[in-house]
Formats: sequence, structure tokens, C-alpha cells
Amino acid sequence: MLTREDRETLNAFIDGQLPPEEMKRVAALLAERPDWENYVRQQDKLKRALGMEAVIRAPVPERLLQTAQSAPVSWRWWLARQFNRRPGWILSAATAALALSLAVGVVTQPENGIGLSGGQMVAEGSLRQALDTKLASTGYDGKGPRIGLSFRDRTGADCRTFRDGKTAGLACHRSGSWVIQAMAASENETGSAPYRMAGSEMPDMIRQAVEARIAGTPYGAAAEARARAAGWPGAR
Amino acid sequence: MDASLDTIRHQIVQLLPRLRRYAIALAGSTADGDDLVQDTVERALKGLHAWEPGTRLDSWMFRIAKNRFIDKRRAAGRRPVSGSDVLETVDAAFDGERAIEARLSLRSVTRALQDLPEEQRHAVALVLVDGLSYREAADVLEIPIGTLTSRIARARESLVEALGC
Repeated sequence: MLTREDRETLNAFIDGQLPPEEMKRVAALLAERPDWENYVRQQDKLKRALGMEAVIRAPVPERLLQTAQSAPVSWRWWLARQFNRRPGWILSAATAALALSLAVGVVTQPENGIGLSGGQMVAEGSLRQALDTKLASTGYDGKGPRIGLSFRDRTGADCRTFRDGKTAGLACHRSGSWVIQAMAASENETGSAPYRMAGSEMPDMIRQAVEARIAGTPYGAAAEARARAAGWPGAR
Repeated sequence: MDASLDTIRHQIVQLLPRLRRYAIALAGSTADGDDLVQDTVERALKGLHAWEPGTRLDSWMFRIAKNRFIDKRRAAGRRPVSGSDVLETVDAAFDGERAIEARLSLRSVTRALQDLPEEQRHAVALVLVDGLSYREAADVLEIPIGTLTSRIARARESLVEALGC
């Protein structure tokens, strides 16, 4: 007659959940205990039936394959991934200081890239050119500003994140200009950091600026190229 | 550009047979099981940012499936399950005499699972049907291991009787 403890041990044995030494001990004991062996045989049979081999072997319905292969992915995931690929976007005291200086209108000009127009900060020079022409999907060319995400904002404008030297930012295309929506400073230069700061690559200020504005998901390679070809017209 | 997304989608495709089996074990029919799998995969991709790379994708998706099953069940109320459409699955997998055998076994298995109290069925579907470890299954169900193993022990008795093992 099996005790409750016997059953517990044998169940764990059948499920392969005992430590290796115990597994061996129980396996050896089965030869001396026909009642144990019967129980194990019965439970093995049960597990085989429950394994529903037919379901595992049957072809998976097409609609499930389709869903796995093409159902939309969370844009938060895209966002995290974009930023995680760029090490060194680090929030720091300098970020806060720069943001504050921008907020009160003391405009710094990272590498001749930003000017004031109609009371707004707009991209100029190399930054403007990068926002107009560079594609994130073809990879960074190693020269000048680097483009991250492109997406449509809730007003229908095309927006792009960028990084230029130690400055990271977000610009949206309005009335022919790239209007700076947010900027942040980081410790490391473009592409220069061979190591990552654990868990802190995402520049919160820029990420939050994107999250506050994005409508739908970031552009993939094709949408990015289309938007560039059309001159960043937004939703018009 | 999306190599890692391709990898994740590929892993999900690889998981589909197991997810189907798990969902059929919970829901009792191929139709309801496949609806549950579809819903689970959509949810998983839409909430992919919540998955921590490096942790197990299968356990994470089983947990989503379990929660969706419970939510739907609550919304719809309990409804009877015929279990008859599990036959389609078998016919696609086996020929001839083996199909008959497998069909009988699959029908009786899904029925016996449906007759279990739901909390036992959840535990059985993860450990006896899928083969997850006690630790993993307890994590998916968010219950202590002792609770999990005692639910399974009770279910074993009913299942052996129902299936005549």
C-alpha cells in the first residue's frame, strides 16, 4: 500500500523533479517494490496520454502562423530597442543644465546645427541636412549627426530623433523646418562608447518626448524611405 | 534591421504547437484553443516590451495564455464544450488505425481535463501536459510549489480513473 509520502516521491520522480541522486535511488528501488513500479507505470501511461502527441504533430493552422509572423509589435519595444542600440545616451546633471538653458532661451549651437526662427529652435546646417536626408535603416555613415527613430506625431507631422556629438534630440518637420522639440546632453560622443552603462542607455527626456507625441508605431525602413522621398510631408 | 524581432517571431512560431496543446488542454476544443493561442500571440507581440530578453519566452507566453483564458472565462461564463472538434487535429496528424486510436485518446483526454476543477486543470496543463518543471509552473500560476504539487496529485487520481490508465 502506498503512503502519501510514497506518492509524493514517486510523482516527483515521474515528473523528473527529484535531485539527480534521488532520481537514481528511486529508480533502483523500483525493482524491489512492485507496488511502486505499478504506480510509476500507470502514471507514465497517464502522462503519455496527456502529452497529446497528435496535437504536437498536427500542422499549425495558417492563421496562427500568420499572426506570429506579422501581428504588430508594441511601439514601446521598438523604442527601447532603438535607444538600446546606441550606447552612451546618458542622462546627467549636464542634461538638466542644458535643458534648462534651452528652456530659458540661451541657445547653444552644437556643431553649427541649431538656430532660432520665429521664436522656435530649428535645425540648421549639418543637422538640418542629416534630418532631411539620412536614413536610420541604412546604418550610420560615421559622419555628422546620426538619426534614430522616425515617426508621425499626433498632429500628423514627421518627427525624427537625432544625436550630434554630445547632444541628443527630437525634431519635427513643420512648415519646411525641423523644429526642435527636445534636447538632452550625454556623456559620450556619437558612436564612441565601447561599453554600456548598465541599464541606463535610454535617455529619458528624449524617450518621454517621443512617447508624448508618437501616433502609431515608428517607421520601418520602407516608410522612412518613402517619407524622405516625399520631403517629410507628414500626414498631408 | 529587425534581426532580433525576426528571431523572436521565429521562436514564437516554434512554440505554437506547445501553445496549441496547452490551450486545447485548458479550453477543451481545438476551436477555442486556437482562438486562445491567436489572442495570446497578439497580446504577446503587442506587449513585447514587457518581456525581459534572456528570460523564458515560453513561460511568459503560457502566463499570458492562462490570464487570457481566465479573463475570457469570466466574461463568457462557463459554457459546455463538446470536444468533438479535437478530431480535426488528429486526422491531420495520423492515418488509418493510428488515427482512430489517437482520436479516442484525444477525445477522452480533453474530456477528462474538462471535468477537473479549473485550478487543477491549470496545474496539469503546465506540468503533466507540457512538462514544465514545478518551479516554472508555479511561477506561471503564481502559486507556491506545494500548492501546485498537491493540485496535481489530486488531479492524477481523477485522471487515472477517468482514462482507465
